[in-house]
Amino acid sequence: MNRQPDNRTRIIAVMAEILEIEPSTIHGAQRLREDLGMDSLGSLELLSVMSQELDLELEMEHALNITTVDEACAFVSRHYAQQHRAASAGA
Amino acid sequence: MLALEREPEGGGWTPLSLGPRLARVTENDAERQLLPLLLGSVDKLRVQLDSASIDRAGKIPADVLDTARRMGLFALTIGEEHGGLGLPLKAATAVIDQVARSDRSVAVMLGLHAGLGTRGLVQYGSSAQQSRWLPRLASGELVAAFAATEAGAGSDLMAVQTCGRGVAGGLRISGQKCYVTNGGFAGLYTLLVRTPGLGGERAQSLVCIERGAAGLHVGREEDKLGIRGSSTVTLELDEVFVPSEDVLGAGGSGSAQCAHVLAWGRTLMSAGCLGIANAAFQATLSHVATRRQFGRTLARMPVVQLDCADMAARLYAMESLVRWAADAEAEPVRLEALSTLAKVLCSESAFAICDRAIQLHGALGFLEPTGLPRLLRDCRITRIFEGANDVLLVRIGAAALASPRSELTGLRCADLRGTLADVARVCAALVTEREATLSLVRQRDGLSVMRKQALLWTLGQAEVKVHAAIACLARATAESSRSSLQVAEHAIVSLAADASAQLQVARDARGAAALARAQAICDDLIADTPAFRSSAGSGAHTQDSST
Repeated sequence: MNRQPDNRTRIIAVMAEILEIEPSTIHGAQRLREDLGMDSLGSLELLSVMSQELDLELEMEHALNITTVDEACAFVSRHYAQQHRAASAGA
Repeated sequence: MLALEREPEGGGWTPLSLGPRLARVTENDAERQLLPLLLGSVDKLRVQLDSASIDRAGKIPADVLDTARRMGLFALTIGEEHGGLGLPLKAATAVIDQVARSDRSVAVMLGLHAGLGTRGLVQYGSSAQQSRWLPRLASGELVAAFAATEAGAGSDLMAVQTCGRGVAGGLRISGQKCYVTNGGFAGLYTLLVRTPGLGGERAQSLVCIERGAAGLHVGREEDKLGIRGSSTVTLELDEVFVPSEDVLGAGGSGSAQCAHVLAWGRTLMSAGCLGIANAAFQATLSHVATRRQFGRTLARMPVVQLDCADMAARLYAMESLVRWAADAEAEPVRLEALSTLAKVLCSESAFAICDRAIQLHGALGFLEPTGLPRLLRDCRITRIFEGANDVLLVRIGAAALASPRSELTGLRCADLRGTLADVARVCAALVTEREATLSLVRQRDGLSVMRKQALLWTLGQAEVKVHAAIACLARATAESSRSSLQVAEHAIVSLAADASAQLQVARDARGAAALARAQAICDDLIADTPAFRSSAGSGAHTQDSST
């Protein structure tokens, strides 16, 4: 599956699908642990599944400090933009 | 002479003091004075214990509980200011180990009380909470229980559904908790519950509830395979009111608190595994020393000797890792990591030792009067509760990849001579191989490795064995007896060989074909089950491509 995360809504939709909750219940300031019920390894697993869903390659060390939905969205968007630019330049 | 050194983050090699610390049995004055007395008391308790009878009756007799109270066995880790003995974790492990050599049900009851049951209150309780409950817990007037698991939340405690709704003055809690050890007769329960009003939508909190609270219903005793004398019940909570002052620590911190409490529980549970494995081993030694077949005792037969040496090596590794974990008492993050490693190693090894003990007893070992079948049954649950081992191994593997530094980072072997020189080199090579493997996997798989459950499990297995080997080496540097050194050497060589093989698998990503085949086989088998067919229409099952 290859979905382009051209906006934040799409990233949150993928996140909601993985967490099996309604997208409308996810807000940017929510903390992955206290608000969404994930621990540190759980958040890595979430980002890993998101990278698969969005066809992205993500490095682990940069993902370790992510604690909120906003940070997760920014992290994924940044990588998508970088990899999209690289792919365009290559083409 | 020290075997190992660690490079601190600031640079410059310094000796790693692991060896002497691991070798030392006593830590402080309280421990030095009390531990021998307590261990002597446990010996006296042993005379009173009829484990076969406890197993048959499914209950610990009242007079055993009374004796344990008089001996202070409910007071182990509770502070002296509250009438407890104030023992450090390592001393408590020595007591639980000793009790488990006699009876695992009693050891589970006492270990649960000292660990999961009271740890939350000791660590996070307010002065008022501690003054209210700890003296009665130390005297054994109240027995403590811990309730986290639910039907839909076993190893995945973030899935807890029991919920505390905020009301005037506190919380109204509804839900169900299962597999609550000590629950049938406990006087105080510490529960992990969701508290959306405290700290976030999925935040959790630890709360204390006394027996008899309105709306708290204690279910019937479960009929179990082992530790039949211990109490295991379900708790139903129907709008139980918990005043705000009975929430432990900062509301919403329950999951982090639970991790700390579980670390204590796993360390004490590992000590219980050590005790039961020791009981099986001693029975085996007595048997092979006297049982004659083909004109000689079993002990003269090389295959039996290999088995006995393997059992001794396993015990040595178990004890070394338990001591290492308990030594980390003051450092919660380290304790959490080491106690998980110890729990997996000790529960798996105890079961293997009990199984081998039965094998070496032949048909006799299959008979209940030898006590060996009970030992095997009693230790089976330890591979499941307080985190199923397979789940823990995946998490251990993931944590090793995610953590830039660990217990083993920067470790190197000092100049060793004599018996330990060879195994020190083996350990040094193993630590290097571990770091290289983790680095390779990180670079090769990136974040996608977090979806590769089988690979994480394999790395978890390697992690357990690498740490156990290092614990053995560190302890062996302080051993003086030749026989102990031989056992240490045997343990290290065996653990290192296993760990190296698993690291090799992780590096080569071998087994991919077998995994794909296993997934196909499993999918076909599951698709044929009535349960799947009946739920397929409801969409309850989904295919997961994670390997």
